[in-house]
Amino acid sequence: MKLVWLKSLENAHDDSVWAATWIPATDESPALLLTGSLDETARLWSPDELTLVRTNTGHCLGVVSVAAHPSGKIAATASIDSFIRVFDVESNNTIATLEAPPSEVWQMQFNPRGTTLAVAGGGSASVKLWDTAEWQLVATLSIPRPEGLKPSDKSGSKKFVLSVAWSPDGRQLACGSMDGTISIFDVARAKFLHHLEGHCMPVRSLVYSPAPLDSRVLISGSDDGHVHMYDAEGKTLFASMSGHASWVLSVDVSPDGAAIATGSSDKTVRLWDPKMRAAVQTLTNHTDQVWGVAFRPPGGTGVRAGRLASVSDDKGISLYEYS
Amino acid sequence: MACVYIPVQNSEEEVRVALDQLPRDATDILDILKAEQAPLDLWLIIAREYFKQGKNEQFRQILEEGSSPEIDEYYADVRYERIAILNALGAYYSYLGKIETKQREKEEHFIMATQYYNKASRIDMHEPSTWVGKGQLLLAKGDVEQAFAAFKIVLDGDRDNIPALLGQACVQFSRGRYVESLDLYKRALQVYPRCPGAVRLGIGLCRYKLGQYEKAKQAFHRVLQANPENVEALVALGILDLHRNDAADIRKGMEKMQRAFEIYPYCATSLNYLANHFFFTGQHFLVEQLTETALAVTNHGPTKSHSYYNLARSYHSKGDYEKAGLYYMASVKEINKPQEFVLPYYGLGQVQLKLGDFRSSLSNFEKVLEVYPENCETLKALGHIYVQLGETEKALESLKKSIKSESRDAQLGLGWLCTIEAFLDLGELLISTDAGAALDAFKTGWLPVATVDLGENGDGAMAPVPGVGGDAAARSLLKQGHEEVPVELLNNIGVLHFERGEFELAEKAFKEALGDDILLKFIDSEAQRPTDKAHHDSIKEAVHTAMDASASVEKYKDMQLFHRLEEDGVAVELPWNKISALFNLGRLLEQLHKTEMASILYRLILFKYPEYVDAYLRLAAIAKARNNVQLSIQLIHDALKVDDKCPNALLMLGDLELKNDDWVKAKDTFRAAKDATDGKDSYATLCLGNWNYFAAVRSEKRAPKLEATHLEKAKELYTKVLLQHNANLYAANGAGVVLAEKGQFDVSKDLFTQVQEAASGSVFVQMPDVWINLAHVHFAQGNFALAVKMYQNCLRKFYYNTDNQVLLYLARTHYEAEQWEECKKTLLRAIHLAPSNYTLRFDAGVALQKFSASTLQKTKRTVAEVRSTVVELKNAVRLFSQLSAASNLQFHGFDEKKIETHVGYCKHLLEAAKVHCEAAEREDQQNKQRIELNRQVNMAEEIRRKAEEQRKVQLERRKQEDELKQVMQREEHLERIKEQWKSSTPGSKRKDRLQTEDEDGGNGDKRRRKGGKRRKREKKSRYETEETAGGDDHEEMEDEDASMTYRESYDHDDQVDDNPQDLLAAAGLEDSDAEDDTVAPSSITNRRRRQLSESDDDDNEHLQRQPESSPARENSVDMQESDGD
Repeated sequence: MKLVWLKSLENAHDDSVWAATWIPATDESPALLLTGSLDETARLWSPDELTLVRTNTGHCLGVVSVAAHPSGKIAATASIDSFIRVFDVESNNTIATLEAPPSEVWQMQFNPRGTTLAVAGGGSASVKLWDTAEWQLVATLSIPRPEGLKPSDKSGSKKFVLSVAWSPDGRQLACGSMDGTISIFDVARAKFLHHLEGHCMPVRSLVYSPAPLDSRVLISGSDDGHVHMYDAEGKTLFASMSGHASWVLSVDVSPDGAAIATGSSDKTVRLWDPKMRAAVQTLTNHTDQVWGVAFRPPGGTGVRAGRLASVSDDKGISLYEYS
Repeated sequence: MACVYIPVQNSEEEVRVALDQLPRDATDILDILKAEQAPLDLWLIIAREYFKQGKNEQFRQILEEGSSPEIDEYYADVRYERIAILNALGAYYSYLGKIETKQREKEEHFIMATQYYNKASRIDMHEPSTWVGKGQLLLAKGDVEQAFAAFKIVLDGDRDNIPALLGQACVQFSRGRYVESLDLYKRALQVYPRCPGAVRLGIGLCRYKLGQYEKAKQAFHRVLQANPENVEALVALGILDLHRNDAADIRKGMEKMQRAFEIYPYCATSLNYLANHFFFTGQHFLVEQLTETALAVTNHGPTKSHSYYNLARSYHSKGDYEKAGLYYMASVKEINKPQEFVLPYYGLGQVQLKLGDFRSSLSNFEKVLEVYPENCETLKALGHIYVQLGETEKALESLKKSIKSESRDAQLGLGWLCTIEAFLDLGELLISTDAGAALDAFKTGWLPVATVDLGENGDGAMAPVPGVGGDAAARSLLKQGHEEVPVELLNNIGVLHFERGEFELAEKAFKEALGDDILLKFIDSEAQRPTDKAHHDSIKEAVHTAMDASASVEKYKDMQLFHRLEEDGVAVELPWNKISALFNLGRLLEQLHKTEMASILYRLILFKYPEYVDAYLRLAAIAKARNNVQLSIQLIHDALKVDDKCPNALLMLGDLELKNDDWVKAKDTFRAAKDATDGKDSYATLCLGNWNYFAAVRSEKRAPKLEATHLEKAKELYTKVLLQHNANLYAANGAGVVLAEKGQFDVSKDLFTQVQEAASGSVFVQMPDVWINLAHVHFAQGNFALAVKMYQNCLRKFYYNTDNQVLLYLARTHYEAEQWEECKKTLLRAIHLAPSNYTLRFDAGVALQKFSASTLQKTKRTVAEVRSTVVELKNAVRLFSQLSAASNLQFHGFDEKKIETHVGYCKHLLEAAKVHCEAAEREDQQNKQRIELNRQVNMAEEIRRKAEEQRKVQLERRKQEDELKQVMQREEHLERIKEQWKSSTPGSKRKDRLQTEDEDGGNGDKRRRKGGKRRKREKKSRYETEETAGGDDHEEMEDEDASMTYRESYDHDDQVDDNPQDLLAAAGLEDSDAEDDTVAPSSITNRRRRQLSESDDDDNEHLQRQPESSPARENSVDMQESDGD
């Protein structure tokens, strides 16, 4: 298990790059890297050469989140002004513009079947679910307020939802909030299940392990610099991994579930071995906070090796081979 | 039965005197002697008999009578006997003088002796026995050279004179000429083979001194054969045995000493040696008894000195330094020159060092150094003293010299030992001055430890030992060394590496210090190293046990892990001397962000030693860094259970209470901490100072009076700390803040700059506050570029660019500098970092609004600018309306009305902007047309110009042609005139003129046309400008309105009019203003307070005292509060 640095693209954007995801390969096109930046654009990049495929404009106030539909045909980008733009990857035609005021938009993710887009709703303390056929808001999963809390209570804003993750079977949804708690929902019943505690600082990134055997494993990265591994159903914290010197901004799991990658404010990308519960590699080719790390999903023609992309405040993108 | 017969005068009879029955009163016998006029030799015999029986008084009485003037007169011709009597008296007084301890009487005795010998010399100045006596006297007086002369006189006369030979041998011995002395003794023995044992003793001593120990031994054995009870020989043999350094021989030697003691318990030398022996066997009572006896029986200076030394050493080793000092002093007093016996000086030096009398100690060690200039121990001791006296240079010199001298013969184990010690000392010394060199010293000192496998030397009794038997002691020391592990040394090395930021080396050193398998397995349980499978697995299992997620909140208190391990049969041992190393390793792991492992180590310490407060505090600090305030407070309470006066715990608690906004509680806690340290802990004072500062700037409704009092109090406290520790960066920073608060920017800037410089040296001092403060000062002085740079550096250097508060300062600076794009970007970054901070969104909206307004206000602007204004205004509207919508959902501190006002204003601006945009676009269009027109005009002009040129050329050509024509015409004319002259015609002239007129007319027409066109254009543009000017007027009014409101807002206008725009201004802009005024400095101090926790450790161990190193900062005053009223 290791990462080998392949390529870095400096000034990929005109300003900080804040989000990255891979658009899965389709029959016509290889997988593409989609990045979003403070420069108010989202850009598409070819997988290995990192050549610019297209620059999507139309957002205001910085692109904070990007998401790709599992089909590879549709993608969504969102900005601080809380608009989500859903577009056709090939043609860049806008399919839908979503907003659910007063809910803001932070992390977004399509469910594994591609029927629903989950959006972390910030101060609304909820996750919004959008139907991908009609682009209608179909559900709002709200985090229950702690009992005995007055509506005007200040601490209400602490359940600010930042991050969201679908379980591999699509039944569960986890969301992370500013106060460090993680909430688990049963999607089918639109029901809140329980909290996972352990962090006391914002959880900015969440991901379920894709490995079939431990699909209950939820991995979280927090501003407290720790990466936690939870059993999302058994409600247990079974690993707390420290090592980053500052906030953990992004986590992702390799497609085989054997490795975890994290990006941090300490400018590093780390590779972790979930079995050993320890960092196995630290990569330092970024010069500023690393806002996003993303493993390329398997599939596509002529693709064998794994790839990890990282994006940073240094305006650059780095590409690594994962093996 | 020996008898003497005194012949009765004038008769044949004799009086028989039995020598063993001499009358007690010598007068009886004197009467007989005098009455019978007995020959003088009888007098002498009787006197000698008295002497032999120890009746010195009678002896003296008889001899004095026998040397009285009457006798001289009466026995005037009996010369030899008279001389003999005088010599006997001389010898007697010499002896008295020799044994007398009191100086005055001693001299009196010698004077008497001298008188008698002189008298004898007067009778016959060639009598050898007198010279021998004189020689002895001189010897007793220590006048070796004159004694030599006296004996020489005798020996010159008779080279076989035995007493003279012996005397001279003694003289030579005293002069250190052992070969000559030995020759003399030998001659005496040859001349008189039946000599008493003393001669052979002399030979033995000479041989001993010459280093011929075997022969010396033979000689002493001979003495013992002749007289088995000869104490001197026994003692001498004992000494010889002792010096053999062999356990068996030493035992034999001690047996001899013991026998000598049994034979004659008052031989000081044997007593001393016995005492020496018992000193090493640790029987101090015997040492004291023996030496006291020895002191009582001898008045021989060096021996007494030795006895005192033994006694002193005994007390020294028992730790009774006062007494030891006194006896060392006594011992030193008996010594004329340090060369004779240097050890007591060393001991005295040590004791004085111990008692803190550095100057005296120094002089004593220097005396030792006179004798042994390269003695490592002494050099080291000197080094220590110099350190104590603060003379670092000299100390270094001494220590380095000691290392040099010792490493020269470092093959010896002892040498290594000393070298190591010296290196250690040097290292410890260097720590304070030069950490790098200290590390080198430690390492070099440590290296031989590794290779020779020696431990650290233990101090105390073993240290003052370099005398007899010192070697043996050192040897046992070496053996001890094998068992001892230099944990402390490795720990120190680790700490030094840590301080220098060499974390890997530090980790290695700490781990080596820990050494233990189990401990290391804990630490390495992260890495896979299945050396000891069973143990490893259970440890790993224990460390990695899953815990209920809700229980994980209290993780840092969990001890289950260790209980589980013990149940599994894995014994977790933690020897007390490894705690420090373990704790330091924990600190190191924290520094490396391996927080989880660090917490396990701290918990392990607490599991074994629940009183170890620092471990609680570190755990609390870890919890605090992870924002787990409740757990942190719990842990501190645990620490306070152990020691409820622990100032560190109290201060940290106070800090946490501040974080929880418990102002009053925090103040009480800080006070308690201050009291617990008698006000001596500057950190406690500083915290109180900070508290006061916060109190001053905290309240939204500023009460000037209260503010002033608090500020004054804060200043007072900072100043107090500065008086105690004038190098306290945090106090200086605090003072700077107060000064800045009072508007004395230049002074505070100086202060901050100095603090910043001073703080940028150490790994352990992290002071972002001073950077921020400096930036604030630059900002306040309008030096925006510098302020921006300072904020940015601070963000990068200390916060990994994650601090939205500093970003807010930065945005505010950009805002003031009217760098709108930067301001917006900075605020967006801040929002991205702190999504739930709606204040930032509000500020972003305000910035966009202000940008738009100011753009529209500009007289010159491009269409692009206006267009972007429209976009940004739309964004602002969206931001504000989102906020307004969100305020329905939850409380975030904004007045909905204010937001509505902002929205309204922005929309209004937007309307205006749209008009402007259209206008601008129209203008742009027109501009484009104008440019096109211009281009066409230019082209036309060009064409015209060209045409004109062409025409000019044509004209010219035509002119020339005309001229030519004219010339030709003229010629023709002339011809014609010539002809006309014959017949005259005027018509051709008019024709010419008409031609030119025609040309002129064409030109003028063109010109006129052109001018008209120009005029037309002028008119048009005038109309345009008029139009736009009209628009501008309208606009400007609006803009002025806007800028007015802004200005008002900056003037801190709190009044709320009906005018919605004022309201808006009051809402939005006052907001950002107020916020910057209050938040900025307060968070400065917040940070400072946090940093303070690391400051001014009086502890040597930096690492040990950073329990509260990373309290998270809070933003005590934020927009919501300032906006709340």
